[in-house]
Amino acid sequence: MRGEARARILLLLALCVAACSAEREPAAPIALSDANARAYQSACASCHSRPGIGAPLTGVDADWRERRKQGLDTLLVHTVEGFRGMPPLGTCGLCSEGDLRELIRYMAGLP
Amino acid sequence: MKGPGLSRRELLRGALAAGAALLLPQTRARAADPLPPVWLDGGPLPWRNWSGFQHCRPLLRLGPASESELLEMLGHASAPIRPAGAGHSFSGLVPSDGSLLFLDGLAGIASVDAANLQAEVWAGSRLGALGPALAAHGQAMPNLPDIHYQTLGGAIATSTHGTGVLLGSLSSCVVGLSIATPRGELLDCDASRNAELFHAARTSLGALGVVTRFRLQNQPTFRLREKTAWRDLDEVLANLARDREASRSYEFYAFPHANVALAIATDETDAEPYSSGEDDPDGLALLQTLFDLTRRLPGIGTPIYDALLRRSGTSEHAGESHRVLTHPRTTRFNEMEYTVPAEAGPECLLEVLQTIRERELPICFPIECRYVREDDVWLSMFHERPGFSISVHQFADRDFSEYFAAVEPIFWKYEGRPHWGKLHTLDAARLAPLYPRFREFQALRRSLDPHGRLVNPHLASVLGI
Repeated sequence: MRGEARARILLLLALCVAACSAEREPAAPIALSDANARAYQSACASCHSRPGIGAPLTGVDADWRERRKQGLDTLLVHTVEGFRGMPPLGTCGLCSEGDLRELIRYMAGLP
Repeated sequence: MKGPGLSRRELLRGALAAGAALLLPQTRARAADPLPPVWLDGGPLPWRNWSGFQHCRPLLRLGPASESELLEMLGHASAPIRPAGAGHSFSGLVPSDGSLLFLDGLAGIASVDAANLQAEVWAGSRLGALGPALAAHGQAMPNLPDIHYQTLGGAIATSTHGTGVLLGSLSSCVVGLSIATPRGELLDCDASRNAELFHAARTSLGALGVVTRFRLQNQPTFRLREKTAWRDLDEVLANLARDREASRSYEFYAFPHANVALAIATDETDAEPYSSGEDDPDGLALLQTLFDLTRRLPGIGTPIYDALLRRSGTSEHAGESHRVLTHPRTTRFNEMEYTVPAEAGPECLLEVLQTIRERELPICFPIECRYVREDDVWLSMFHERPGFSISVHQFADRDFSEYFAAVEPIFWKYEGRPHWGKLHTLDAARLAPLYPRFREFQALRRSLDPHGRLVNPHLASVLGI
């Protein structure tokens, strides 16, 4: 019984490691809709395309590796409500939840 | 709020030295009023301002794509209808449980008058995008505020400004505008056509209607060189009359609990773009850490803090004017700003610093001091009075209430006018005596928005509605 439990734990750990490893790999960049491409330029690009100001840069894997591990929902909550240097809604007042999810996936390299 | 030229290396070294002497728990004050994330269950997204302090759950979020669409919305959308700009205002100008208007669809340059160096610009344009867009036509705005997230409409509606004794606020650069009113009209105005509306609508708080386009008086593109220097605060104040005139733009930051200031002088240059010295995005956060550590060292903390500030480096930048003047900022804060008569500025500042010291307020955020030229805009903080604007800040995740409550009465004593987009506690009864044309503005507002479709609780308070 104890050996079976240990095996299950090891299996879970292996799955976790596999999942974490998978999270580290950025997905191929998704394509933004036209409206979200405009929103990106209007609201997001001023920080996320500008090196040296502290914001994670779009498409730069090292900037997003740890953040991706938090998952899309957590990144979405941080975006909507503001988190550290990130202003609420990323200053995109018209963006819907779906728009924000797409923009986050685009910047962070999430599938 | 410009990020003072604080070098991470020097500040970290100081913080580590102080921390080694005294291991301290991190002090964290309460965050701003939280909104539970019920929207994750499919509810409408909440709106918060840039700092996170102001918030609401609007019934509608509207993005008109044309002036005719906007007029339709002003007539039929759920009230109160509030133009949200980019959400950078710290005061309660925007929150509404009715409709929020976003002018992202009305952005960019509408037309250019090359002969007169003027451009008609849609109000939803972000300041950060506007500089390059104007430069493509060989034009530049004479001055800009430090933070570039704002929309042009929001910045002008609140008389947002940069610094310079010969430079006015953004409102003073407007030579004409178009405004959509809740009565269903699109009115054009300038100094000779609908002149009263023109004088009122250049700082309108979004209370007269929604400005759709501004005609800006620009100048040919130009380059600037910005230099920072650490000085004794006493020295800065002693030489202020000279230094404020000596440069195109001059401002300084005073540091609470230290006799030190960071002076910033900006002048036109022909130099190719360059940058030297650090401009650390985390500099303010490191400053807070250093302050928290050194203030726990009785007797020696303040001299150490003072000395480390002076060693934290300077910077020098040159480039196109819009790149030197305005920036993205990733340290969020809440802010109160009052503009006092220019000559009263230094005395008022010293009283603010003395109050912080005497009450032992744990504040390290630098106090920003800027000069702005007078103008003729009815509700501008610079109406018929050159101003010295004093801005006090607190980090967005720290409680500002005790600090701001302690210093606000000092601003009143010097006949200070609060920035419309920043935190203050004055109502219409207290504001009216500060503005000679306040009653005329109120009457004009009543005629343009007779049913109060644009009025939220904050506007009702500050305009006496």
